[in-house]
Amino acid sequence: MDKQEFSEFYDKNIDKVFRFVYLRVDTTETAQDLTSLAFLKLWRRQDSEISNPTAFLYRIARNQIIDFYRQKSKKPISLDKVGEIADFQVAQPTFSQKIELTLEMERIKKVLYNIKPVYADVIIWHYVDEMPIKDIAQVLEKREGNVRVIIHRALQALKEQLEV
Amino acid sequence: MQEKDLIKKLQDLKQIKPDTDWAFWLKSNILQTEPNNLYNKPRVKLAVFSYISKYQKVAIPSLLAFFLVSSFAFAQTTLPGNVLYPIKTLTQNAKIYLASENTKPVVRLEVAKARMEDLSKIENHEKEISAITQNVRKDLEIVTQEIKKINKKQVALNVSKDIQERSKNLKELADKISLDDKEREEFNKDEENYQSQVLALIIETTEEINQCPSYLKDKLVDFGKYFIETEEGSYQWSQDDIIKSRNLFIEANDAFKAGDCLTAIDKIESVNQLLSIYSLDVQVETETPEK
Repeated sequence: MDKQEFSEFYDKNIDKVFRFVYLRVDTTETAQDLTSLAFLKLWRRQDSEISNPTAFLYRIARNQIIDFYRQKSKKPISLDKVGEIADFQVAQPTFSQKIELTLEMERIKKVLYNIKPVYADVIIWHYVDEMPIKDIAQVLEKREGNVRVIIHRALQALKEQLEV
Repeated sequence: MQEKDLIKKLQDLKQIKPDTDWAFWLKSNILQTEPNNLYNKPRVKLAVFSYISKYQKVAIPSLLAFFLVSSFAFAQTTLPGNVLYPIKTLTQNAKIYLASENTKPVVRLEVAKARMEDLSKIENHEKEISAITQNVRKDLEIVTQEIKKINKKQVALNVSKDIQERSKNLKELADKISLDDKEREEFNKDEENYQSQVLALIIETTEEINQCPSYLKDKLVDFGKYFIETEEGSYQWSQDDIIKSRNLFIEANDAFKAGDCLTAIDKIESVNQLLSIYSLDVQVETETPEK
């Protein structure tokens, strides 16, 4: 993937990946950091053959989120540290745009926190980003049939939580 | 809530978008970097140590340290022929090395005696006995050389006397060691030689110290009188020279008391020079008005 291709790929996916990460973490800044790392890692992996860059990017983003929560459970992770790990320019300018969410959107975001992480992932990918089941299967490294089952259970779990 | 409604609400989340400035900034930053330069090889840990857990990382060095300290302590009780005996000799050598110039001969003699005691406790280790005895003989020779290196005569005398006292049982110790006739004869010869050298050092040093007083003592008494009798105001000297000469006098006195005659003489000589300079000044001053 050359610069031009990456640029196009980036423009096509930045909103989706950012949204996925944003719905899975607590702050905009954390979402920005983890999204940066995901794209950066994809850019770094240009030398290797990637059959489905979108699935690959989501897998990286998902792993970043898992790592983030793993670190957070041990000790509060410094965002500077995230930058250091990435060996990436961390002196980000402040982008203070506040994402406006309706009350209902806020509520769904909170509920997504309370269900199993994999359920939250598939709900975002399938219903929000409209990712094909085939791609979700690639990201999760599962069979498509299994993915359908997970999506069904995820939706049930979300419904239950919203009705509480 | 109907599934349809829920899916509708989920699709509303599409409105969430990143800050456009940030998105642009990120893309340009990533593209500014060369991918090949950024590619980092994963840090590889040696598989041999991969099984070591966090606690083991602390426990293993602690155990090693404990093992080392224990071996070190145990080595101090070993005798020649034991695997750990070299650690004991190493410790003894370190003691000698770390001792000050004035105590080095005594420490070396005590180490030599300790080695002789070790030898007296073993049999059937001819090779070790022979090697260590050789070393003890060398050590005794070095002891006398080290006494000679002590600068202050009085200290050297005291050390020599101490060494003489401590060396009294050397022969007795040697008799307990299983030496063959030739080695015993050689050792006894060296031991006698060593005792004579120590005695010679005591005599020489005593004489050197005793020679000092007749010359130095008179000088010191003279200067002492001069400094006491001459009133403060009557000095023609500069204040610095008064302080300097008095300090030299004090240093000469101290050196004399310590048995360091050469230093005392040197200091006295310096005071003498100052006195002669000022005596000349006085003469010039007295002569000038007549002209």
